[in-house]
Amino acid sequence: MSLRRVLAIARKALSQFRHDRRTLAFIVAMPLLMVVVFGYTFGGQVHNVRTLVVNEDAGYMGLRMADRFLENITGDTLVLVAWTGTASARAEVEAGRAWAVLSFPANFTQNLRTNVTATIGIALDGSSPTIVSAVLGTLRAAIEKTFTSGGRQDLALERDFVYGSEDTRFIDSFAPGVVALAVLMVTTIFSVIMVVREKSGGMLERLFATPLRSSELVMGLALALAVIAFFQSVVVLSAVLLLFQIKVVGSIPFAFGVLLLFGIGNQGLGIMLSSAAKNELQAIQFIPLILFPSLLLTGVFFPLEAIPSAFRPFSLIVPLTYASDALHSIMLRGWGVGQIPVAVDILVLLGYDALTMLGAAVFVRRQA
Amino acid sequence: MANSGLAIACRKLTKRFGEVEALRGVSLEIPSGVTFGLLGPNGAGKTTFLRICLGLTPPTSGTAEVLDEKIPPRRVLPKIGYMPQDLAVYLDLTVGENLALFGRLVGMDEGAIKTRIAEVLRLVELEGRVDSLASTLSGGMRRRTSLAIALLHDPDLLLLDEPTVGVDPELRASFWSYFGELTKRGKTVVITTHYMEEASHCDLVALMHVGRVLSRGPPATIKERAGAANLDDAFLALVREAKTA
Repeated sequence: MSLRRVLAIARKALSQFRHDRRTLAFIVAMPLLMVVVFGYTFGGQVHNVRTLVVNEDAGYMGLRMADRFLENITGDTLVLVAWTGTASARAEVEAGRAWAVLSFPANFTQNLRTNVTATIGIALDGSSPTIVSAVLGTLRAAIEKTFTSGGRQDLALERDFVYGSEDTRFIDSFAPGVVALAVLMVTTIFSVIMVVREKSGGMLERLFATPLRSSELVMGLALALAVIAFFQSVVVLSAVLLLFQIKVVGSIPFAFGVLLLFGIGNQGLGIMLSSAAKNELQAIQFIPLILFPSLLLTGVFFPLEAIPSAFRPFSLIVPLTYASDALHSIMLRGWGVGQIPVAVDILVLLGYDALTMLGAAVFVRRQA
Repeated sequence: MANSGLAIACRKLTKRFGEVEALRGVSLEIPSGVTFGLLGPNGAGKTTFLRICLGLTPPTSGTAEVLDEKIPPRRVLPKIGYMPQDLAVYLDLTVGENLALFGRLVGMDEGAIKTRIAEVLRLVELEGRVDSLASTLSGGMRRRTSLAIALLHDPDLLLLDEPTVGVDPELRASFWSYFGELTKRGKTVVITTHYMEEASHCDLVALMHVGRVLSRGPPATIKERAGAANLDDAFLALVREAKTA
């Protein structure tokens, strides 16, 4: 292998990007857009759920437990609106003007104090599971707070977070996966398009009429794309850290290294896929093929435990599963290569790189 | 220059693409230091022949040596200049970047690349366009850039696939006179074309039709042999003869 020829190809590919301003902008903007859109849409907490409170609690010996309970509903998840009449409150939910109704019967405190089961009526618009779980979660927290601080210590949960904390947000948990997903999309698409572009212009034929070997071409393109992947990783990681204030407990340079490792394999995959595409239009058709398994099977948005067991084996063949898992462990758990799961992820990614690069060198030659 | 005195020697080359037989037993010897025209209509097998000589595609059967090296001729590729039929110029690179890339790939040093870029661009009348993006050039200028790439490393053997398509008559004439100069310096120029009148510039030609060589020799001899006034008529007569044979 000639280093000079590898560098000549890398230099050429980078010059092509340099002259193509729109693509250059796309290289930075697309992963940024992905991170921002995913971050804000998936990561948003539920706020301001209009909840009507019909409080008919008459109290017992001067104590109104319903009031105490309502005081313990904190945060901005629910907006409590005092209401009169359960039926009219329910009509509000039916009309779509409120999501939930809490009703406290007149004997609420009395029942509590006399050890009779007390009931809080909750009428819910169950059409949005996200809102339902936010409402119920808030109510459970208030119940726990009201009744453990009220002297009844029959049951208490003692929380000990091994990793993360009570403040860990949804976005904290999926940010590492989104970073990997953004790198996956961009590196794969770029490498497919780069090779297809060479093929459609008759360039591959001309390149292989020189002493250039297919492995040198692949290495050269990979080197150029690694430079691109490097900048993209910087952009997405910075975006995640700055815009969403993700709490990273592990090594950022290590996370960065994993991203690069993943990016290289994606390029190989892109080059291999390009052998099946005759033009850029056909190349674009590979996007859903890469996107959907990566979105749904890899634990980026849902933990692997939430994937039906019949589909689990498929998760294991999608490389993003390993990149996402490694980044998750590094960024949120502070693990290093010494921890076996991370070491396994890295070994799998190294194998992915080797296999796809080898495949790329074989396939690219056949296309001249 | 090749020791054997032959730039290309091939015997009974065949090439099949599925059902299609692109070459049907082509045997050709192309001496060093000549301008050799491969003439024939589209589909005659001219491009396939060049691609086999470059090692871009293997023959189905038969043998070939290029500059005394058996195909695929990896070792001698730096001595070959190739201009494909497709444009094969990076439109998103400048003219200079296109040339420099191929200079590096054939092993030229940076100083030589710089000197030769100026020389070949003068030859194809693109001096002053070294920093122009290829996408901003006219179709003819792009073809000239493509030719400049093939000429850059001053190769011993030039394989030019339809180099004069889209080039204006004046520049075409200057190309042919340059090819003549190259052969005087011992270089070999193999040109495919379907313009029969261009054959008058060649020292030797081979007329190809559906994967076969119908006739080869100096243009005047071929005309004489077929009893025709020009190569067009000679070609038609040879095709008729081949069909009845």
